[in-house]
Amino acid sequence: MNKVLLVGSPNSGKSSLFNRLTGLSQKVANFPGITVDVTSGSLLALPDVELVDFPGTYSLQAISAEEEVAVEYFRRALADPEVRHVLCVVDATRLEKSLYFTLQVIRDAQHHGKLITVLANMADIIDRNNLTLDADALAAEIGAPVLMVSAKSGSGIESIIDRLRDALVREEVSGGRWSETPDALLRGTAHQLAHQHGPRGDVLIQSQTRLDRFFLSGFTGGVAFFGIMLLLFQSIFTWSAPVMDAVEALVGAVGSVVVPLIENTVIADFVADALFGGIGAFLVFVPQIFVLTFIIGLLEDSGYLARAALICHRPLRLFGMTGKSFIPMLSGVACAIPAIYAARSVDSQRQRLMTYLAIPLMPCSARLPVYALLIATFIPDETMFGGLLGWQGVAMFSIYFLGMLMGLIVTGITHRISRVVADDLPFVLELPPYRLPGLLPILRNAEKRCRHFVTKAGKVILSVTIVVWILGYFPNYGADLATSWLGTIGHFIEPVFEPIGLDWRYGVAIISSFLAREVFVGTLGTIFGIEDAEDNMAPLVDQIQASGLPIGSGVALLVFFAIALQCVSTLAILSRETRSWKIPLRMAAAYLVLAYMSALGVFYLVEWLV
Amino acid sequence: MNASAITKTLWSLQAGDAVRVIGFDDSLPERYRVRLEEFGFHPGENVECLMTPGLGAPKLYRVSNTVFSLDDDIASCVLVQMAVSPGAAL
Repeated sequence: MNKVLLVGSPNSGKSSLFNRLTGLSQKVANFPGITVDVTSGSLLALPDVELVDFPGTYSLQAISAEEEVAVEYFRRALADPEVRHVLCVVDATRLEKSLYFTLQVIRDAQHHGKLITVLANMADIIDRNNLTLDADALAAEIGAPVLMVSAKSGSGIESIIDRLRDALVREEVSGGRWSETPDALLRGTAHQLAHQHGPRGDVLIQSQTRLDRFFLSGFTGGVAFFGIMLLLFQSIFTWSAPVMDAVEALVGAVGSVVVPLIENTVIADFVADALFGGIGAFLVFVPQIFVLTFIIGLLEDSGYLARAALICHRPLRLFGMTGKSFIPMLSGVACAIPAIYAARSVDSQRQRLMTYLAIPLMPCSARLPVYALLIATFIPDETMFGGLLGWQGVAMFSIYFLGMLMGLIVTGITHRISRVVADDLPFVLELPPYRLPGLLPILRNAEKRCRHFVTKAGKVILSVTIVVWILGYFPNYGADLATSWLGTIGHFIEPVFEPIGLDWRYGVAIISSFLAREVFVGTLGTIFGIEDAEDNMAPLVDQIQASGLPIGSGVALLVFFAIALQCVSTLAILSRETRSWKIPLRMAAAYLVLAYMSALGVFYLVEWLV
Repeated sequence: MNASAITKTLWSLQAGDAVRVIGFDDSLPERYRVRLEEFGFHPGENVECLMTPGLGAPKLYRVSNTVFSLDDDIASCVLVQMAVSPGAAL
């Protein structure tokens, strides 16, 4: 199959062109470097030609490990006899940014005898603002055709196809005027050509600067930032909730229809609890992932996300992260899963790992039922300062704050003890122009992200759910959790939890909560013989209080849940994103030890104080 | 009119300052210098400091038709020269 390579500098509109040419839904955003993986698809107009989209890069001289991989892959692709042509996308409005990379690509393509076409994208903006780019003169200088195109309006797409039709039947010709030119000479030439042939005037910069003065100044920028983040937060927490409830209800309703049709009790229990329970456990996150991906897509495409990254950069830099880590961390307060996806926009591998470290410590919504139960059980429902502040509210705030603080402390310490300066990319952020977001690609991307979650993470979550169900169901067929294999494990590990005043029942509930943290409440409800404990906690609160569990144990449990990474969905997504199980498993082990030691310390402290 | 020139770093500029890049500090690793040049911060290129954002965010610089934000650790390695009138305070 003939292949065509699509390359370009970050934010040149390369992914938009890919989508135009293939009809696929590669993620498109107005944020430099958004293409993370190499994607390919058949051309709509030439179905026997595969278009391969490479990550955007500023040059073929890599400065990070990820760039090295991309550049190496590109050079290997050039040597592939199936590769017949290279399309190099440049931002026509900012020619000087792309031309050095273009000349490098032309040189390497000529070296391998490949033909190349330069696509000067964003021709619509050039026309609208009465700017000019002398494409013919530029083509004559660089020795490759330059086509004026617009991925947004679709103008010039036909000319690309015509060019490819013509180029694909030509023979490869080795060598060319740039084939042996060193980088330094290319850089100087690119600079000169950009000044000579690129658009002049600063209409675009002026309008961008006006908006930056609003979005980045101390007062208006702060208010806008706070308002936009509140909107994002609301979208994850509040707007997703009805759809999440609907998904849960739908899975439950289908289960209630299907399960009575099964005569065998064991199979019926398995289908009801393991299959429908497991499917419900991960499907419920889909609306949240969709809404978050959609809103982040809007922010990216409008150009605001780059500004938000700028505002947050300084504080996060202290903890080994970058401004781009902020959105993933904020998303983590709702749910770690979409947050881990959102961390893709962090371009330094090391800083992305730091962001991954921080995300599981953000107080996600799954912790809320656990906190609510423990606070209702152990913290008196009393007020202070004339009823202005309630102790339970203070406790809830403190435990949320503790999670965020721990996230910063852990990344700060890890950053300092593992500091390898060479791995840190300096913060240089290209600020993209502001523009109206294109809704369709953003919706498509949100749908694609959800599909990825369901097909990849869903399998792992369902598998673990089934294993835990088997452990809890056998050998007594669900009659008594205490004597099940899970109960036996609970008794076996009781000595581990004993130092913090917890017996086997809490051990079992903690193990079960690895499915999802909120399962802790339901499991304790089952053990204490209370149905629907998640919906009505009061009887469970009474039972735990009556069982004589010391307050130190309650506070220790709160601290344990604030730190421990007991969420199989998070681990599954982390393994997908890092392409390894080593990182998530090490993180889970480290956070488990940290959670346990912190809980132990807090237990002794509270018991000593009380 | 004789104009003298003072050498500064990119980081020391105030909003509205227009300067010319004259080189890079020796402490800047080669690969970052190359990347800055790829972005357009060549010796001889004109750069304008567009704004010092609030909330402690890194400053914005315009090179040709592109705006970049550079943090202090890298902006302070870019040496620039600003033309000033004789008698202006240094």
